[in-house]
Amino acid sequence: MGSPYRGVADALEGAAATRGKLAKIERMAGALAPLSGPELAAAARLLSGSPYAEWEQAVTSVGWATVARAASAVTGWDLETIGASARAIGDLGEAIGLLLPPEASGRSGLEILEVDDRLRALSARRKAAEKAEIIEDLLRRASPREAKYLVKTLSGGLRVGADLATVEEAIAAAFGSPREAVARARRDSGDIGETAAMAREGRLDEIRFRLFHPIGFMLASPIENAEEVAGELSLFAAEDKFDGIRAHAHKSGSRVALFSRTLDDVTAQFPEIALALGAAPGQFLLDGEIVAWKDDRVDSFFRLQRRLGRKAPPADLLAEIPVAFVAYDCLASGETPLFERAWTERRAELERIAAGGGFFLSAVRDAATPAELEDLFRAARERGNEGVMLKRKDSVYLAGKRGRAWRKWKKALATLDVVVTAVEQGNGKRAGMLSDYTFAVRDGDRLVNIGKAYTGLTDEEIRKMGTRFRKITTARYGPVRAVAPEVVLEVAFDTIQKSTRHKSGYALRFPRIVRIREDKLPAEADTVQRVEEIWRGIQGM
Amino acid sequence: MTDAAGIPHLEIRPEGLFVPAFGAFLDPHGPAARAIVSHAHSDHAAAGHGEVWGTGSTLAIYRRRNPEWSGGARPLAFEEKLEAAGVTLEIFSSGHILGAAQIRVSGPEGSFLYTGDFRRRPSRTAAPAASPVADVLVTECTFGLPVFRFPPRGESERRLVAACRAAADEGAIAVVLAYALGKSQDAALVLTEAGIPTVLHGAAWKLLPEYEQAGFSFPLSRPYDSGPVRPGEALIVPPSCARTSVVRALKKRRIVYLSGWAMRDASRAEHDADVLLPISDHADFDELVEHVDAVHPSRVWTHHGYARDFARILSARGAAAAPLSEGGERAAEDA
Repeated sequence: MGSPYRGVADALEGAAATRGKLAKIERMAGALAPLSGPELAAAARLLSGSPYAEWEQAVTSVGWATVARAASAVTGWDLETIGASARAIGDLGEAIGLLLPPEASGRSGLEILEVDDRLRALSARRKAAEKAEIIEDLLRRASPREAKYLVKTLSGGLRVGADLATVEEAIAAAFGSPREAVARARRDSGDIGETAAMAREGRLDEIRFRLFHPIGFMLASPIENAEEVAGELSLFAAEDKFDGIRAHAHKSGSRVALFSRTLDDVTAQFPEIALALGAAPGQFLLDGEIVAWKDDRVDSFFRLQRRLGRKAPPADLLAEIPVAFVAYDCLASGETPLFERAWTERRAELERIAAGGGFFLSAVRDAATPAELEDLFRAARERGNEGVMLKRKDSVYLAGKRGRAWRKWKKALATLDVVVTAVEQGNGKRAGMLSDYTFAVRDGDRLVNIGKAYTGLTDEEIRKMGTRFRKITTARYGPVRAVAPEVVLEVAFDTIQKSTRHKSGYALRFPRIVRIREDKLPAEADTVQRVEEIWRGIQGM
Repeated sequence: MTDAAGIPHLEIRPEGLFVPAFGAFLDPHGPAARAIVSHAHSDHAAAGHGEVWGTGSTLAIYRRRNPEWSGGARPLAFEEKLEAAGVTLEIFSSGHILGAAQIRVSGPEGSFLYTGDFRRRPSRTAAPAASPVADVLVTECTFGLPVFRFPPRGESERRLVAACRAAADEGAIAVVLAYALGKSQDAALVLTEAGIPTVLHGAAWKLLPEYEQAGFSFPLSRPYDSGPVRPGEALIVPPSCARTSVVRALKKRRIVYLSGWAMRDASRAEHDADVLLPISDHADFDELVEHVDAVHPSRVWTHHGYARDFARILSARGAAAAPLSEGGERAAEDA
């Protein structure tokens, strides 16, 4: 008899039900401690939300409809009821757990290795019907709690308030290993499961960094102005913030792999970068940016965008929009990982490797005062870049973490005053609340939709607005309520793009509500002309 | 939605459900000349009616919550029969909260039962729910989806007591989030029985005379404004207080959320809750279905809640059911 999956499901439920990080770690450590070998490895991965190791870059890729169909077969409820239940509860897995028949509570349930094996089998199946069959079989034998976390794993969101770092700490606690050693082993192996199994045997030291296993990216915390870092500027080096696609370049001999922020292999999309890096001498792992390149400088992101998602870009596109790799960090050189070396040391190694060619090197500048930093910021903007990055010279590379050792300063775009035209219920935490707003700008006497926003208001504000929107509802289309155009919002956004999705012909990227403009009438909202103006500004037109 | 014509002795008007024989609206959304109020929750008992018909407890609570109100009151007793123009109006307990009633109207065209809000399982302070038969049932369905099946109330009450004791042991204040009318008083009674003193938010405290009038006593309770909450006491406040200074001011606190919505894990984050206890004054999914079976109607209209879904589920079980469209819509805050 193998160890039960129940232990994993109970630990996840326990973690969800407690607020404190320590208590969550304790629950997970409790589930891991009695296990060993492949069971331990699988349990550690499942606690972190996926049957796969990070380096495998695999997802279970099962659609909502497939899971719902399997649940329908097992519970006897029709698809509509399952959909409505998931919306009411705010989570499909939770809803399916609640819909299993009462006798399911008495089931002996599933085994860890069986769950691991079946979930992995899912990605090998192409047809939805075959996937549904596997899920159905699991759900028929699962207890309600197991079903809940199985489905959450399939949908890629456990939502128990724990992340990989929590599972790392649980491994450390379960097997008495130093936290740093666990974190290093996880980063180098790209596998929380292998890390757990090796920690139990006291062999974490044996885990070595391997090229071509994707590694998490170190992320920067935002600053809004130069004054924020006034007191510590001498600790930082400054670089331009490029508007491209962040990537890690792994290189050994002529073999090259480019991994994006989502740890997807994007090498095939950028053959000229792969070719150029492949011709350089040595073996290394670089952190940098894929950018459109024109006249010896970085070109706009909008041109780069045309290269994205093209697995095998045609020759004319390659000629029209060439790309290049601008490197700003070196994480491994030869056989030596450099994550734990200071930025200064990594930069020196990067410059040494850059001498071999194949990529561009970001320029490093210094700013001694906020005024000098502002000058750098302006100069970066004039070069067509997004802003500046600040990197602490003494900092190590924290893969997959956002910290204060790296800061980013980029200029926010103007905000728009828009009118709410429709509202609908949110999902997840905001299920049952009218939290999703569709909004419009003016076009002559008409209002034309330009986007939809989900965040920015507090739950309290959403509730208040919900009451108001219920009162001014003019029509209902399923979950969507058309509302009288009365409410004006100020929205911020990352950028504006041309789009056919909305009537205005534009779409806002990552719109968020800044405030409710009670002081403004719909007639004072911004116009589509204003939107076009901002769009032209972004294009540099 | 569907045309609701055909409910005997009932008209659907923009202001709400209207019983012509008595010239009265049932739980109208806004002020009406004459309103039959099923119970005193504000989403059913709008302020400013000319005349209110309801049970003694409902009228007393309505007065307490609307001190400015000076309209006429017509007390109704359970099972009392009123006749007008050959039509009979009767009220029956709905088991929802103190004084809550279902309303049945019958006459030559047939009969309908309007449930208001109801609960079939026993409650601490509401009279047991009746199951009067009727030709047409107009039922609430706040929890009209099969994910809403509440654990036995006794079990949840034991967990409530245990959570308050555990908080006290940790030197924390237990904060019980419960709707001001109904659930707060029920929670206070459960805790009183367990010997745990309670501090009540003003909105719940001011209604205690009506509960005492009905024979309940709260010897271990005191109002919030009578001094700081001490360790060992449980603080009972409406869910909307979870993020206010009333609760935030307590350094060490354990928040217990009492609601049917506590079935959703998401309510933990929404209410900052440590413990979720699905205790509701509403029928859960099984009770809703049981009630339909017990009333034995030939036609069911669903409203208040998952009307469309519950009607579809009933139809699949062979009932003639459809969602009732009443124009306006109200959010239940008392679940």
